[in-house]
Amino acid sequence: MKNALSKSLALITVMTLGACGEKAETPGDINLPNKNPYPSTYQIPESPAFALIGANILTGEGTELTNTDLLIANGKIVAIGAALDIEPDTIKIDAKGKWVTPGLIDVHSHMGVYPSPSTSNHSDGNEMTSPVTAEVWAEHSVWPEDPQFEKALAGGVTTVQILPGSGNLIGGRGVTLKNIPSITVQGMKFPGAPYSLKMACGENPKRVYGSRNTLPSTRMGNMAGYREAWIQATEYKRSWDDYVTDSQAGEDVDPPSRNLRLETLAGVLEGDIRIHNHCYKADEMAQMIDMSKEFGYKIAAFHHAVEAYKAAPILAKEGICGVMWADWWGFKQEAFDMVRENIALVDYAKACAVIHSDDPIQVQRLNQEIAKAMSAGNRMGLNIDAAKAITWGTINAAKSLGLDNQIGSLAVGKNADIVLWTKHPLSIYSLAQKVWIDGNLRFDRFDKSVQPTSDFNLGIISAGEARP
Amino acid sequence: MKNNLLFILLLFTSLTTSAGSILIKGADIYSTNGVLPQSNLYIDNGTITAIGRNTPLTADLEINGEGMSITAGLFNASTHIGTVEVSAISPTVDFYSENEAVTASLRIADAFNPRSTLIPHNRVHGLTHALLVPESGTNLFSGQVGLVQLGNQPKVIHDSLAMALDFTESGIRLAGNSRAAALVQLRQALDDAKDFSRNRAAAMAGDHRDYILSYADLSALESVVNGVKPLLVKTHRASDITTILALAKDFQLKLILSGVIEGWMVASEIAEAGVPVIMDPIHNLPESYESLGARLDNAKLLSDAGVTLLLTGMGGQDTHNAYLVKQSAGNAVANGLPKSVAIAAMTSNPAKVFGATVSGDIAVGEIADLVLWGGDPLEMTSEAQLVLINGEVIPMESRSFQLRDRYFKRLKKN
Repeated sequence: MKNALSKSLALITVMTLGACGEKAETPGDINLPNKNPYPSTYQIPESPAFALIGANILTGEGTELTNTDLLIANGKIVAIGAALDIEPDTIKIDAKGKWVTPGLIDVHSHMGVYPSPSTSNHSDGNEMTSPVTAEVWAEHSVWPEDPQFEKALAGGVTTVQILPGSGNLIGGRGVTLKNIPSITVQGMKFPGAPYSLKMACGENPKRVYGSRNTLPSTRMGNMAGYREAWIQATEYKRSWDDYVTDSQAGEDVDPPSRNLRLETLAGVLEGDIRIHNHCYKADEMAQMIDMSKEFGYKIAAFHHAVEAYKAAPILAKEGICGVMWADWWGFKQEAFDMVRENIALVDYAKACAVIHSDDPIQVQRLNQEIAKAMSAGNRMGLNIDAAKAITWGTINAAKSLGLDNQIGSLAVGKNADIVLWTKHPLSIYSLAQKVWIDGNLRFDRFDKSVQPTSDFNLGIISAGEARP
Repeated sequence: MKNNLLFILLLFTSLTTSAGSILIKGADIYSTNGVLPQSNLYIDNGTITAIGRNTPLTADLEINGEGMSITAGLFNASTHIGTVEVSAISPTVDFYSENEAVTASLRIADAFNPRSTLIPHNRVHGLTHALLVPESGTNLFSGQVGLVQLGNQPKVIHDSLAMALDFTESGIRLAGNSRAAALVQLRQALDDAKDFSRNRAAAMAGDHRDYILSYADLSALESVVNGVKPLLVKTHRASDITTILALAKDFQLKLILSGVIEGWMVASEIAEAGVPVIMDPIHNLPESYESLGARLDNAKLLSDAGVTLLLTGMGGQDTHNAYLVKQSAGNAVANGLPKSVAIAAMTSNPAKVFGATVSGDIAVGEIADLVLWGGDPLEMTSEAQLVLINGEVIPMESRSFQLRDRYFKRLKKN
């Protein structure tokens, strides 16, 4: 924590330098809020080195390798290649003829915050008491025993971003988790993963607050609501910047009062927190992009981007990921213009295309969702192969989370998040057979001792029984 | 090759929709008798006239079906197609009523809109038929089940195939929020319907006792209590299934179950009672306390016990994407259900169970309701290449395809 604090101090010092061009003095007793008060306690369990031998690999970076070995040690991928020279005491797993992919990543999940059973006592995903609730953090709602997590794991999902719901303009912080069993959410938190902030365009916030006769009841009300929040955040950030500058100048100044809501928004303006923006329509995406420029922040991704194909060149230009379903539509007007080729077309326009579930059933079969999106693209002649298509649930997803240096592909030095499939991963008949996270086997379809189940299921599922 | 085929079909369909002959060569044909590998199929003026090696070798449209497969058109056994356009826009939603005075008499087929944009979108992906099952808004009884055909002139084939009743926790909530209270209400309604049936003239003349339900609702229940029209009961918990089986026996009802997420726990009871089930095999989460036993091999376990399956799905996508019943079926197969059973459960079984005038099969003499798939019929990568409904070729046109084409043109210029 001390390190994190001094790091953030150093950052602010640099920023201040940039602003005034003066040489920084050694910071005195500058009192800054802790940026990581609920730190990850996840530790990679020790496990022996192992190798997958002779696998067909979709790397996650757009390539396919046949009959290739993969060597894993200390939670990392150590080597990939044909007929690797493997130490005799390394565990060898025969993967000849089998398919291997990186662990799948779902960047839009409500597991833990809208768990199963979906009873009101556990419905903790939407703080719909004010249109801007940037102060709430999804991780404080996550129920780690949610039985949905283990089912997603059995579908090959190793990393999930848990987001608050979309009832608010600014719904709160999201959190990225490793999909492992844990008594605490801290034990699941992906160490060092950037925080995200959920924003929502369109129908949901204006419906929720419009029905209460408070702002927003219209899309222009939505925009006014976000801008008001960013204006406050800009002033809040300035008050802290001034405090740091004045302190460094040797003045005896009190820190500003903390405001949790504005602290998160200021974190976005500082570039620490990534915007994941629920936004269906192309016209609204353009408004959100202009607003991000008005206030000087960056949007990481538009989620539920049903109209991303209309905005694809803009997304490519701005470096914003489109996060999409394969085929959902029609539940709201803003989801009426669905095309099954959405993901393929966004990819065609060279923008970052990502699959997501937003759903505890679909998260269990993101591979099928990818298959559908690929097939729709191929039907119109886009010639997308499986190696390319799998990137939508791996490296592109990792990019949107700011974690593509650690996960999302099978490459030397990356985390050993790996799925071994029973058949080609884009086949409807394929099931995840083994799933490793950081080189640890977390799920094995044919070994009941590696099929974790929630406390909730005890006494409901008989001891020793495995229910698919 | 596949793209060429779609192009040829486009030309073909612009010329004609039904007249003429079609020869599909060398496709795997899935019929109720099993799979005929790499066989020919000949359709003349909309009717299947030959299957196998001895088909005529020329036709107005000849398609190389190698590596492809043919099934009967997909039939989703629980949808709201044509009775909703946009779920969140309530004036477009007709599949349930908030009127307490309209329960069993609600006939969902009356609201069917043949011009719904959902119809072309579903049929181009292989859905040819669907049941319209109303939902409960105010009462355990949801209303009457309809059957629609999604051809070039979409239409209601049957407007009252069954009576739907909601005995899930959401239906029970409407009936006083207690299973016990819901049963009292249900038994009373059935007794009243019997009494009304016996004393119809007197009751209509105002010369008989009062009923809780309206005459219209009691009239609609007459054929149910007389054992003619099936009662379609949606319920999930194993003990609720047992309760409904006993009630159906008591009242000598013709029963069909739906939902049955915990069905596998009482599969032999369901099989013994000879009751078919409409189910979505995709559910494996304890989404509520009535479905704690959810598991992905529910379909397999029910089928193994001898229960006849009719499929719906997938998940919440059972209407706007009702063709995704195929994805639910594929997942059931991946979890042990025999492929032939899965295909029958979304083609021939619904027609059989409801005695409906739908073929649901690939056989000589049948009017063609079929799909040519680009590969294995259950793979998500097998696109529908050719769809015939009621003997007519379906144009591969939908609102979604128009949007795609409009924006692809713009992207190509970019």
